[in-house]
Amino acid sequence: MLAYVVRRLLLMFPILLGLSLLVFLFVRALPGGPAIALLGERANDQSIEQINEALGLDQPVHVQYGRYLKNVASGDLGASVRTRQPVTDELARRFPATVELSIAAMFFAILLGIPLGFIAAKRYGGILDNASLVASLIGVSIPVFFLALLLKYLFAVKLGWLPTIGRLSLTEQLDHPTNFYIVDAIVTGNWSALRDALEHLVLPAIALGTIPLAIVARITRAATLDVLSEDYVRTARAKGLDPRVVDRRHVLKNAMLPVVTVIGLQTGLLLTGAVLTETVFAWPGLGTLVLDAIRFRDYAVLQGGILFFAVVFVVVNLLVDISYAFLNPRIRYR
Amino acid sequence: MPLLSVQDLEVKFFTRRATVHAVRGTSFDLETGETLGIVGESGCGKSVSALAMLGILPKTGRVTGGRVLFGDQDLVGMSDAKLRKIRGKDIAMIFQDPMTSLNPVLKIGRQMTEVLTKHLPMDKQQATAEAIALLDRVGIPNAADRLGDYPHQFSGGMRQRVMIAMAIACRPKILIADEPTTALDVTIQAQILDLMKKLVVEEGMGLILITHDLGVVAGVCERTNVMYAGRFIETGPTRKLFERPRHPYTLGLLRSVPRLDAQRKEKLDPIGGSPPELTKLTEGCSFAPRCVYATEESRARTPELRPIEGNDHLVACWNPVPDADLPHAPTDRPAAQ
Amino acid sequence: MSITEAEAAQLSFERPSGLWADAWDRFKRNPAALVGIVLIVVFILAAIFAAQIAPFEPNEQAGPLATNPAGPGGEHLLGLDMQGRDVFTRILFGARLSLLVGLVSVSVGLALGLVLGSLAGYLGGRVDFAIMRVMDLMLSVPGLLLAIALVTVMGRGLISIMLAVGIVQVPTFARLLRGSILGQREADYVLAARSVGVPGRRVLLGHILPNSIAPVIVQATLAMATAIIEVAALSFVGLGPNDPRLPEWGKMLAENANRLQQSVHLVLFPGLAIVFSTLGINLIGDGLREAIDPKLKT
Repeated sequence: MLAYVVRRLLLMFPILLGLSLLVFLFVRALPGGPAIALLGERANDQSIEQINEALGLDQPVHVQYGRYLKNVASGDLGASVRTRQPVTDELARRFPATVELSIAAMFFAILLGIPLGFIAAKRYGGILDNASLVASLIGVSIPVFFLALLLKYLFAVKLGWLPTIGRLSLTEQLDHPTNFYIVDAIVTGNWSALRDALEHLVLPAIALGTIPLAIVARITRAATLDVLSEDYVRTARAKGLDPRVVDRRHVLKNAMLPVVTVIGLQTGLLLTGAVLTETVFAWPGLGTLVLDAIRFRDYAVLQGGILFFAVVFVVVNLLVDISYAFLNPRIRYR
Repeated sequence: MPLLSVQDLEVKFFTRRATVHAVRGTSFDLETGETLGIVGESGCGKSVSALAMLGILPKTGRVTGGRVLFGDQDLVGMSDAKLRKIRGKDIAMIFQDPMTSLNPVLKIGRQMTEVLTKHLPMDKQQATAEAIALLDRVGIPNAADRLGDYPHQFSGGMRQRVMIAMAIACRPKILIADEPTTALDVTIQAQILDLMKKLVVEEGMGLILITHDLGVVAGVCERTNVMYAGRFIETGPTRKLFERPRHPYTLGLLRSVPRLDAQRKEKLDPIGGSPPELTKLTEGCSFAPRCVYATEESRARTPELRPIEGNDHLVACWNPVPDADLPHAPTDRPAAQ
Repeated sequence: MSITEAEAAQLSFERPSGLWADAWDRFKRNPAALVGIVLIVVFILAAIFAAQIAPFEPNEQAGPLATNPAGPGGEHLLGLDMQGRDVFTRILFGARLSLLVGLVSVSVGLALGLVLGSLAGYLGGRVDFAIMRVMDLMLSVPGLLLAIALVTVMGRGLISIMLAVGIVQVPTFARLLRGSILGQREADYVLAARSVGVPGRRVLLGHILPNSIAPVIVQATLAMATAIIEVAALSFVGLGPNDPRLPEWGKMLAENANRLQQSVHLVLFPGLAIVFSTLGINLIGDGLREAIDPKLKT
């Protein structure tokens, strides 16, 4: 098991290296060249020269890339044109917000999607099965930003049940030791802030979680249907086990294998969706950071943001693969 | 009173396209310690009969008639909760493919103990100890070390041993083995059959062995039922049936087995045609279209099992194979020399 | 005795046409797929006949300029936007744009993906390794972000947007085709074709590709929906086509996203247009998948 993890970790390096190269080329391909791109169009000649020197643009490309790698490795992604803050600080501040949102969305998708898909499969061909199929198809056909807008309109604007934007009401005072507001509220015992933060989280999480929900439900259904016809399920029934034990221990446990893979694949979608969902709900996460960077041509932030997103994506996929190995003994010992 | 008495069992499958009449009124008794073979081509309803007895038919299948008496209880129509107390405890089953019949994500130990703790008053520790003893008994080396292994770490033959250990865990009165050796290498087949024979004798279990392989039946079973298109068409003591098969189908089955002692030039004699589709069955003997002995009557009326040559040999045929056409059965040969 | 190429090519190793007939049969009996067809036919007709159906010009000022434009009703079926343009008209012309964008970007993704995938799958070795590592890399960046990066570099013209969305789809097609070819390369009918002397290029074009095509068709259909949504998403984040006159659904929606309270119809109708067109495509794609391979029923 340990060997597997180590091997996977080692395999991660070429991908990270490739990613950094991609982002490096990206910055050099930006209109106006990297100096303008990184400093903004109003930059004066002196600072352009400075950055050209700093980036070593007079050097051959491979030297430039080497220097860039060194900077990235030491956590230096440059500074935002707009805020003058180091990009890494910005990323660190925004990251927890996106993680909180993504985890909530995934919880929503998994806690609802797996039972839904499982029940649909158990009642194969029934009304519930067909309804869930249609619902999940509609789920994957709705653009996440449109769904977010609809939810916001219905529950926040029209009904006024939930807040429309942000992570916390201005009236709430909350210390931020972790920047995960839910965690912050719990560790500081601030229950009114907790309630408020949760209320802010509900709509964005549902919006972001709906597509994964639809997909998780579909895959769970398909996987369960597959497993239900497996010989070992018949064996389990022949042993006289309770149907609930058969379902849980023999059916679900096996059906979870493809579902875990798919959940992993959803993280990319989730990150993309986060960019859009955060925009609709003015959620101060990485997504809004990246979009603001586009809007204000803050390319240092954009570069850092994309690199960071990609790294998170790679790491999450790694975690998913490892958890898959935990679930599937055939992989673990290979 | 027999241990198990199946009476006029009927099973149908209801699919969107058609209704399949898979088992059409089969009856047999099984005594304590008796070994019974059920032989037939794939799709003739032999496995379905077994699943029906245990109440684990696939969703589309239903028992539409008959009784399965286990002692004085009828397993047909019994609530699943009650049936579950019998399944795996009093009647256990082994399946064809040991590669797919064990849960790939559960340790062997867990799959063993779950049946023990379910049916017997054992705690986890006792069940584990018992599981080791069982694995040991079916011939798995280092049983204690292997409880933590997963099915894919065992070979096919070893997996079938595990399946057997699981089946006999609760000392069942009846063991149903559905093609237990079909998926195995020939050398392994013999080992597994020997093991089953040994256990059946030691435990005094009744054994129902379902197979398409006449050789397997010949080696293990006292009695044999030959099944065709959802019915028994001939039943009798195995030796008698092999020596003097009276149903043309049984004869055909015996003739299509390659024999080592046959003349080089002698061709195998397969049965022409294929079994009827179980969706469109008409009156008359189902085998008639493939049968050289078929008469007008065969096509007009369905034959019932009736005694021929004593009370223990029954055949459902209007025109049984005449003596002149009978082969020298393999079991017959040593005696003849 | 030698078998000529022509003779060898005549040997038929392809699936019998019954397969496609069966598939069509299953497709016809799938109510969801038929709903999809209806939606798509409406979508395509709207795109083709936009100029004939639409009561106004897409950029014509058909009503008063207003901060709170009139909603649906009367002369304007789906209301007016802030510039006084007819929303129904713009949605019809938007269908044209979405259809174009979907077709072009999927064609780009499909063409590049097919070439790269078949090269990787058929040649194997270093070519395979190089191509697939690049594909892995592209897949390790979330799709929309990759599109955002590409559009940032290439500019916000309609062409570059379609290219960007197409490029994002290349790895999916390449992987699909490569996997399929690897699976088929050792298939019995390919070995048979080789053994009778059919040359390599012919094996690829005549035998392997036709047999790999079914999953590609399904994927291409589903990719259309993704492309339409992705372009709308680009518009939504402010990277849509830079011509303000273009009636792109995502842009129409984005421009009014913060005015939900006053004029929800400006968000609702373009959004629904996106939903119905992508739903239609997804239904068909799903139906195709089930029809071609009933085992894959998900």
